Amino acid sequence: MSPGAFKLLFLGLMGSGVPVAIAMAGSSLIFVMVTGTVPDFVVIHRMVNGIDSFPLLAVPFFILAGNLMNSAGITNRIYNFALALVGWLRGGLGHVNIVGSVIFAGMSGTAIADAAGLGTIEIKAMRDHGYSPEFSVGVTAASATLGPIIPPSLPFVIYAMFANVSVGALFLAGIIPGVVMALLMMGTVAYFAHKNKWGGDTRFERKRVLKALAELLVVALFPVVVWTLTHQGGLPDVPTVAVALAVLLGADRIFRFSAVLPIMTPVLLIGGMTAGVFTATEGAIAACVWALFLGIFWFRTLNWKMLVKVSMDTIETTSVVLLIVAAASIFGWMLTVSRTTEMIGAWVLSFTTDPWMFLLLANLLMLFVGCFLEPTAAITILVPILLPIVKQLGIDPVHFGLIMVLNLMIGLLHPPMGLVLFVLARVARLSIERTTMAILPWLLPLLVSLGLVTYLPSISLWLPRQFQ
Amino acid sequence: MQPEPPASDPNDEHVLTASGEFDVHDAPIDLGVYRVEDWIAFAFFWVLAGTVFLQFFTRYALNDSAGWTEEIARYLLICTVFIGATISVRRNNHIHVDFFYRYLPRPVTRVLSTFVDAFRIAFFSYAAWLTFALMQRIGAQRMAVVDLPIGLMYGVVLAGFVLMTWRALGVARANWRRGASVLEQPELAFGAQPDGSREATK
Repeated sequence: MSPGAFKLLFLGLMGSGVPVAIAMAGSSLIFVMVTGTVPDFVVIHRMVNGIDSFPLLAVPFFILAGNLMNSAGITNRIYNFALALVGWLRGGLGHVNIVGSVIFAGMSGTAIADAAGLGTIEIKAMRDHGYSPEFSVGVTAASATLGPIIPPSLPFVIYAMFANVSVGALFLAGIIPGVVMALLMMGTVAYFAHKNKWGGDTRFERKRVLKALAELLVVALFPVVVWTLTHQGGLPDVPTVAVALAVLLGADRIFRFSAVLPIMTPVLLIGGMTAGVFTATEGAIAACVWALFLGIFWFRTLNWKMLVKVSMDTIETTSVVLLIVAAASIFGWMLTVSRTTEMIGAWVLSFTTDPWMFLLLANLLMLFVGCFLEPTAAITILVPILLPIVKQLGIDPVHFGLIMVLNLMIGLLHPPMGLVLFVLARVARLSIERTTMAILPWLLPLLVSLGLVTYLPSISLWLPRQFQ
Repeated sequence: MQPEPPASDPNDEHVLTASGEFDVHDAPIDLGVYRVEDWIAFAFFWVLAGTVFLQFFTRYALNDSAGWTEEIARYLLICTVFIGATISVRRNNHIHVDFFYRYLPRPVTRVLSTFVDAFRIAFFSYAAWLTFALMQRIGAQRMAVVDLPIGLMYGVVLAGFVLMTWRALGVARANWRRGASVLEQPELAFGAQPDGSREATK
């Protein structure tokens, strides 16, 4: 079977609606059976081996931690915190939408889930305050892309595995671009507010804003204090973190924080990983233990039924994502065996050997793929094809990972086939055409971010380099 | 491309209290939607969580991580994934591309969608057979750290493929009866309500 036939078989299966994982594994199986290079049961062996990895254990627990934090009680705390912080600005709820998404980005890993779950709340709240559905949908869609850029992020874990780079480095690389994106979006909200002469959505109360700022400060200081104590003071890692958390809980009893404790979940995870205390998997488990503790004992928002539902949701997402990873490991192998990757690489390099030009073309390709394919599926297909070229051109794979994930996220929004587009059209009960028009202006800050991330590598690479 | 009207109208509800604070509530949960494969995967998942936690705990509290935990955790993850994948077969939640279904005439999509059902069933059943063949070859090998046959884990993978075949047959039959699949009518999907997760109150 020629490489062309193999590619066509896969694209044909996927295009006809066969689930992506089965299209990958099925076309590989047919390729093996036709060419007879290896016995066909090797396909199963390879699939199972594809997910037989300790780092991948982080996936279910990232998802679990995110789902545990997604209960109504904690959602209210986070939104009310965001409301106190930025609700008084002009175009208040637009800003609240973005700040809420930034915080939730640190908890859940996927944009589609954010758009559906949080998007519903955000759009309803904005409607109650008289915002147009177009504006609500636009800002919700744009801010949903933050989820997988700001760590922790499921697409980053999958990319790290396929590109063989460090998850920790990718997570750190996402922080500054995430902040840049959020600021650009808030700028867009400010522009709309100025143009339409909107006021704030809550009254400016100095005390309330100061309290929110103080909470932000506590969250920011926590890792700094722990870092200083353990690295400068020579105290042991884990007991120090435990004592610091106990102090924080005590402070929560006294000051009645609104959102400090939930926001600590991602801080613990990322802080622990970058300080080298945890591996990604251990960080994920620590975040789950913290979230379970908050849900069951501290805020008492979790009951048995909810725990079952959260677990089932986690299992479902995990198995959907990891079945693709399993299928992609046999598929990637077949792409190499059939010399497809080699051919595509040679073809692209015959076009251009200039990294600048290559990145432009890669961006267009990934934006295109992103509007048809769910991000994790796209990553498992694109990485084996593009990464050899990326390495040959001397582009940092961590930098490229960020570019890829951002492209795929933007692809979720833009026509003709963005998944977030469809989800939000349903939530807001707008036609697809109106939703598309509503999202269009928001592509501007996103594409500006994409340009910055693509052509200024230091935005993503500066932070991880500080920790090497 | 018409927007599908949701069954209940979530837009009539409010998420803000009179004082302008956010106040959302969790939707009622029905555990009756979960079937046998869900509960098997549930068991694997929590044993997995316990194992990883134990590893975490032994490494930090006792400064000596138990070697078996890592290996068993990896195998439990595989078991969770292959049994758990059945859930999404039943609910049609595996990621697929339905782009062309929006533009092709109905008779064509009917044929395509029936092909997808047939291909799924063929793949899962053949994969079950291949897993069985694989077990015959390497099933008796021992795991690296723990003295158990590797065939135990492959047995669960086999069970997963058998369950997936079974559920794919059920889905195909349902599609055949109503003359449409989720590919053709996305609103048939389980949990298609975008805000199935939460409900707001006044």
